[in-house]
Amino acid sequence: MALLSVTDLTVTFDEFTAIDSVGFEIQPGETLGVVGESGSGKSVTALSIMRLVELGSRAKVTRGRIDFEMPDGSVIDLLTQPERSMQDIRGKHVSMIFQEPLTSLNPVFPVGEQIAEALRVHEGLDKKAAHARAREMFDLVRIPEADKRFGQYPHEMSGGMRQRVMIAIALSCGPRLLIADEPTTALDVTIQAQTLGLIKQLQVETGTAVMLITHDMGVVAEVADRVVVMNRARVVEQGTVDEIFHNPQDPYTQALLSAVPRLGSMAGRVGPEPFHLAGSLR
Amino acid sequence: MNQTVAAPLVELRGVSRQFPTDGRARVHAVVNVSLQIGRGETLAVVGESGCGKSTLANLIIRLHEPDEGTVLLNGTDISHLGPKAMRPHRRTMQVVFQDPFASLDPRVRVGAAVAEPLKVHGTKRGEELDEQVAELFELVGLQRIMMKNFPHQFSGGQRQRICIARALALRPELVIADEAVSALDVSVQAQVMNLMLDLQNELGLSYLFISHDLAVVERIAHRVAVMYLGQIVEIGSREQVFSDPRHSYTAKLIDAVPIADPRQRTERPLLTGEIPSPVWPAGEGPEPVELIEVEPGHLVAKE
Repeated sequence: MALLSVTDLTVTFDEFTAIDSVGFEIQPGETLGVVGESGSGKSVTALSIMRLVELGSRAKVTRGRIDFEMPDGSVIDLLTQPERSMQDIRGKHVSMIFQEPLTSLNPVFPVGEQIAEALRVHEGLDKKAAHARAREMFDLVRIPEADKRFGQYPHEMSGGMRQRVMIAIALSCGPRLLIADEPTTALDVTIQAQTLGLIKQLQVETGTAVMLITHDMGVVAEVADRVVVMNRARVVEQGTVDEIFHNPQDPYTQALLSAVPRLGSMAGRVGPEPFHLAGSLR
Repeated sequence: MNQTVAAPLVELRGVSRQFPTDGRARVHAVVNVSLQIGRGETLAVVGESGCGKSTLANLIIRLHEPDEGTVLLNGTDISHLGPKAMRPHRRTMQVVFQDPFASLDPRVRVGAAVAEPLKVHGTKRGEELDEQVAELFELVGLQRIMMKNFPHQFSGGQRQRICIARALALRPELVIADEAVSALDVSVQAQVMNLMLDLQNELGLSYLFISHDLAVVERIAHRVAVMYLGQIVEIGSREQVFSDPRHSYTAKLIDAVPIADPRQRTERPLLTGEIPSPVWPAGEGPEPVELIEVEPGHLVAKE
């Protein structure tokens, strides 16, 4: 039984179709990579699962279902849930992290307090218990000098540390699914490697499934179990990470892969070389 | 004349630059950097945020004046030239920045944007000017009728092509690409890099290619300089730096690059380190590194 099953999902912004008949599944504990270029519909898909896409925008979910398996084994269609129930589900059963942790954190509260807030709201913990649990989350996401960091404000932390705080908030209530929308795109490559390693490690420790949205094929190749490729509002191909990278069937996937710079591919070559682009990119 | 032809296009000798910060502390942005850029050559500068890559570029094009050291362009010392004396040298060096949205005035037609450097340096006017702009558009793979349009009518990749056309208008010898392909989608990034390589072959351009993306650098560079906290810790040919990295920081950077092949996944230890701050109290500063030549053209900082 899939943890999340998206069927025929279609979202429009007035005349414009942002995602068109999108369908895929996420199994418990697996990492699904969603790749595609700007505007292909990756983030709209994620926001639809969170039921945030229609909030304050002209977007309309016009078709489809998003079936989610709750911890008690019941399956609910997230699209038909009232807002009140979604408030319980968001952050507790399905949580999300974004590209830019600075805009996701409240600048006027210490970071430890922001983790504790999620625990008070969703788990009903009192102030003291929430703080103790938040402090444990700091250790879970391996923030060094945790006692000192706990009382710091977001502006006192580096981008990598802020993203660790975001991950701590997102995982604090033990969600079954973590949606990570370009979580490492704004980070330096060494910090990206640390953050991806951390997400992988936490997945093993907590059993959370991850939907990883990225434009970076290297990141997907490193962490995904299965991959969904999106182009112009549609899923053009999906399969295991090995199938997508080593036996892509769709012409768009093939073109996309031909444009990816691969470290080591130039070993033994004398000068710079152009990419040999496939299909529509030529 | 013979002497200047033999000189590299750009040479830095022991260049340093600091900036004041709160109180009396100082950011040591670039520390004792020496390097050369040859004609028709691409030197890539890699390193993480805050390592001094962009300050280095600004020192070369003299948007910053060096505190110490010498900047030579075609053998001429431009380190401390005033604005007027600098002016004839400016057309030799042009820049393409990361964000083509921010680099183009939204209210200026793109044809006029590309024509602007030609007007400022007063080489051509009227129909002759229009014709030259049209040729520049075609050179970067755009159609000449697009000259009439405004920036918002173009995609990110097209806008970056426009910025490249504008950078090439004055026939520069050096183009500085400061994270010029970082904001582009991967397919567009590949197309723009192919364009840059074509233009280099056609026009004999030199590039200073600043990037945090080592996979991109491996494609486009002849030589690579690795910067860490304002200093070059390793410099050499692309092959030397990528196939035989000698400095621990270079190796760490290369190891951190995600490999776009699931069959090459490796278990990595969970790293936690962060880069120390380049800010120092007044009177203090980083220990200057000593570069050792480990093989011809391959210099590595002593650790």
